[in-house]
Amino acid sequence: MSEEVFLKLEGIKKSFGGVHALKGVDLEIRKGEIHCLAGENGCGKSTLIKAISGVHNADEGSIWIDGEKVEKMKPMDAINRGIQVIYQDFAVFPNLTVAENIALNGELKNKVKFVNWKQIHETAAKAMEQVGANIDPDVKLERLSVANKQMVAICRAIINDAKLLILDEPTTALTAREVDKLWDIVRGLKKKGIAVMIVNHKLDEIYRIADRLTILRNGAYVSSGPISEYDQARFTRDMTGHDVSEDKYHPAAQEEEILRVEHLTRKGAFEDVSFTLNKGDVLGLTGLLGSGRGEIGEALFGIAPADSGKVVLNGKEITIKSVADAMANDIGYVPEDRLTQGLFMERSIQDNTIASSIRRYMKGGRLDEQAMEDVTRHWIDEIGIVAPSPKPAVRTLSGGNAQKVVIAKWLNTEPKLFILDGPTVGVDVGAKAEIHAILHNLAQKGIGIIVISDDLPELVQNCNKIVVMRDGKVAAAIDNNIDEISLSNLLIGANEEEVEQK
Amino acid sequence: MIATKSEKLKMALTSTPMILLYVIVVFCVVAAIRQPAFISPATAINLARAGIFTMCFAICEMVVIISGGIDVSFPAIGCVAMYVPMYLNYHGMAPDNPLFFFALAMFIGLVFGILNGVLVSYLKLPPLIATLATSSIASGGLVMILGTREFTVLPDSLQALYEVNMITYADPATGFTYPLTVLFLVPVILCIAVALVLKFTMLGRGLYAIGGDANAARIAGFNVRRLQFIAYIFCGVMTGATAMMYTTLMHSSTTTAIMGEEMIIIAACVVGGCRLTGGHGNVGGTVLGVLLITLVQNNLNMLGIPTCWQTFAVGLVLLLGAIMTSIQAKRQASLGKV
Amino acid sequence: MSAKENRLTAGRKGLPGIGQDTHVLTIIGLMILVCIIMLLLRPEAYFTGLNLRSMIFQFPEYGILALGMMACMIAGGIDLSLVGIMNFTGVLAALIVKNMVIIENGEVTNPAMVVPAVVLACAVAIAVGAACGAFNGFIIGYFQLPAMLVTLCGLQLYTGLAYGITGGPAINGMCDAFKNIANGNVPGTPIPWVLVIFIAVLAVVVFIMKCTVFGHEIYFLGSNAKAAMYSGINTLKVTIMTYMFSGILGGISGILITSHLNSAKSSNGSTYTLLSLLIVVLGGVHPDGGKGRVVGVVLAVLLLQMIANAFGLMHMSDNAKTFANGCLLIAALVLSVVLDKRAAKKAAAAS
Repeated sequence: MSEEVFLKLEGIKKSFGGVHALKGVDLEIRKGEIHCLAGENGCGKSTLIKAISGVHNADEGSIWIDGEKVEKMKPMDAINRGIQVIYQDFAVFPNLTVAENIALNGELKNKVKFVNWKQIHETAAKAMEQVGANIDPDVKLERLSVANKQMVAICRAIINDAKLLILDEPTTALTAREVDKLWDIVRGLKKKGIAVMIVNHKLDEIYRIADRLTILRNGAYVSSGPISEYDQARFTRDMTGHDVSEDKYHPAAQEEEILRVEHLTRKGAFEDVSFTLNKGDVLGLTGLLGSGRGEIGEALFGIAPADSGKVVLNGKEITIKSVADAMANDIGYVPEDRLTQGLFMERSIQDNTIASSIRRYMKGGRLDEQAMEDVTRHWIDEIGIVAPSPKPAVRTLSGGNAQKVVIAKWLNTEPKLFILDGPTVGVDVGAKAEIHAILHNLAQKGIGIIVISDDLPELVQNCNKIVVMRDGKVAAAIDNNIDEISLSNLLIGANEEEVEQK
Repeated sequence: MIATKSEKLKMALTSTPMILLYVIVVFCVVAAIRQPAFISPATAINLARAGIFTMCFAICEMVVIISGGIDVSFPAIGCVAMYVPMYLNYHGMAPDNPLFFFALAMFIGLVFGILNGVLVSYLKLPPLIATLATSSIASGGLVMILGTREFTVLPDSLQALYEVNMITYADPATGFTYPLTVLFLVPVILCIAVALVLKFTMLGRGLYAIGGDANAARIAGFNVRRLQFIAYIFCGVMTGATAMMYTTLMHSSTTTAIMGEEMIIIAACVVGGCRLTGGHGNVGGTVLGVLLITLVQNNLNMLGIPTCWQTFAVGLVLLLGAIMTSIQAKRQASLGKV
Repeated sequence: MSAKENRLTAGRKGLPGIGQDTHVLTIIGLMILVCIIMLLLRPEAYFTGLNLRSMIFQFPEYGILALGMMACMIAGGIDLSLVGIMNFTGVLAALIVKNMVIIENGEVTNPAMVVPAVVLACAVAIAVGAACGAFNGFIIGYFQLPAMLVTLCGLQLYTGLAYGITGGPAINGMCDAFKNIANGNVPGTPIPWVLVIFIAVLAVVVFIMKCTVFGHEIYFLGSNAKAAMYSGINTLKVTIMTYMFSGILGGISGILITSHLNSAKSSNGSTYTLLSLLIVVLGGVHPDGGKGRVVGVVLAVLLLQMIANAFGLMHMSDNAKTFANGCLLIAALVLSVVLDKRAAKKAAAAS
């Protein structure tokens, strides 16, 4: 690692319509280092990336690239100076082949008019060799897995003489093995002298890969330094502005069983999954992507039903073959992606709240408008949705409030089992705590709560039982007397022997 | 996971164009059994003649569909493009020169192509509704300004063009002659040219790119608006030229001559593997699609089906073609990710 | 749209009904504009009871089509097959009436059959319309194909069926009772039957869209199909029902147009697809789905009938009307794009 600075930002400010997204951010990225940009959702990470890549121009502050001050940068200028961004959706073309996806941007940059297919294949082969990828170059991209799509995006970025590669949340959709492979590639790029900036907020992953770290909070620069200077306490404090909370959820042990799952199996997703949930329990279900954690939730809600296994809810065995079955058995489900799966953004809070329970409001052959409004008001007060009335569109709400609307939608169905996949993704700290309090309250009332998450601190603090999934199987079923690092090791499974040796 | 050779072969044998080919062969075999006269050069020449316009229009439409749009205004544009030159000629306001007629028709196509392009790429209107509006503006405006009339006598220069044939086949049994006009070369050249442009130029790849993912194309640095614009302009200009060919070959120019054609053309494209969501489709598939639709349109009676069911038959072909795309996509997804 | 008007709409936000959205205001403004223009040009012909009556006889057939289009577009789709359904059901109704009621020398020879024939014709038209629509909906929902493609295909299929059954020429000369559906008055009153039918259909549509689970599910499906699925809504069922609903309205239109023209063939009302799209977009239904209200659509129907009527009185051809409709459609779309952009800007500024 050299000490030479490639990119330097000083006092970057940017506001949109009077709202300050960035309030003076400093950032320094050295040549050939792996730098991590961390911060909670909404801290301005994506705005900062856009400022670096020339999509937005900063209102104030200055940017130096390779020692040269640049002003009024356009996206093409950033690319020409060797800055490449890989966004979360990769911005690839599903209908074109792998080779073309890799080579097309370069051709475009060189303002070529004609396409030389032989050269495209050569370029693609060269790029794949550099990163050590092995994908059939003639396959259309829509057939690739997420990890391979990302690989194609990386190949595409490095052939254009990248000097700084920015990866926006690169691991969210990857399985454990794929993450390992990605880190190998990133280390390979580092050896070639390419700086890599990774946007991430998972401590365990940051420790494994980053050289240095910069933390943002609420659009402002908090701290920066080598990864060795950060321990877990400092990291959390800098990220959230609070000290680590030591309060863990420990309900009084109760014997009354709410849910029992036995030998649940869906081919290709998970097999032989068993666990029980007693009254008062908040059960955490975790694992890396592809471990089957999300798929179990989808199976219990009937979206992708299980092939075999037994589900006993409140002492009664139930079969779930469709969403209708799940709802008939009073199961509620908050999906992982709130924006596309959970909410009707253009509809009012009221419409969203009654979406799953609308049939109750048929009175005398017509919908009872007043009752729907009343119940929405009730939930607004009950779970603290910040909204003036039930009428505004959900689009106008913040992430935390919008998530509360999704929760209200299901609470209004009076569920006996409530499954939440990633309940606090993209939710600010305050609302996060409120949502956890709601869940604990529900659990005390005897509703079975399953929280599916990869946010380990969240699980450790809020779930009294944790089921860890690995490669479709239950790797461990534990209580929450565990710290994040050992939980993280359980997830990966790779370090198990080392842990034992210690 | 790398597919084995036999798997690849199986995929190739059940791909959309191959299925299309089987259907065409079955159609021909059944027609030949019922009517042995079907197997004759005369049928081929008739088909070629009948397919000229369908082919040209289908290529235009295909380019627009690949770019992620749709154009249902070309029949109306074509009517304007064939009517105005004949109208001017009838009133003695036009030189009797085929170049002038074609140039004027193409210019008219260009004007409406620009209108479509502005509506779709600059104003971001939904393409179907926008081109439907263009269609009513073109056809309504045409009759409003120039009235309705039917021109059946060609100017001398176009008549001369009409009489140029590449080959003429004389049926020895009946003595009928089947000439194949030289204008048949137009769709052939158009197909080759479009295929080359789509495959070997950045313009062509750009059309696929914006149809596949417009946002990714923007990030990559494609000028999405300009590419969409080009697609609609190409469609307009070629529609003008094709309409003039129609007048030349059919000895007819009216304000409604080709109205309603859009259904058949879209059917040919979809059956040929274009997806209305954009980014998919190629010249080979579209040629097969046009072949099938032309066969259905012209030779349905050979299967023993009365011609009044032709509209229904085209609809059925379109329906099956659309369902096939969906099944192919599902099959592709079920193959799993690589 | 001026800022003042915007403030006006914002100020009225609490009130239900008219005044909530810009589209409704725009349409009312345009209606007033048409009235003013006609007041200056042909007041003696335009503002008469006779003219009002002639308007009432014209708009219900496409007004009902537009309501079907509205339902599909709110659900995030489009129904281009409506005109095909209309003609197919019209042909079937005409055939039933023609074959059951025998007319010789202008006299009905079997008067007892008249009422059953007309009732059966209407029932078959509505049932077949429902079946055609349900077929569209099933193909769209089950095979996950674009509604535009499937309904284009439906247009071709149903038009083809109508053409195949008639063999080309129109079916003419149905009995007076059938003709009276769209041309006669309610006995003993000066109120045309069509007006009664239109208001009845409208009432049902308003009730369904506002007061039933199905109506709300249409809106849910249109604003986010995936979220609808994750909320436990059976999206396939709702899609089928939406297009079936639209098909039933197409069937009712089929009865009306066949009765109105006293003739049925496969190519009647070919301009109605454009017209119903124009009405729906002008009435404020969003082409991407999820947004739109019946009141806007009904006002748009009335506005277009006022314009069409004005054109007729000015002795302008149908083609001029087509031309004007095309221009209006673009204007309406541009308006909705501009409004969207403004709303997005406002949202960006607010967040």
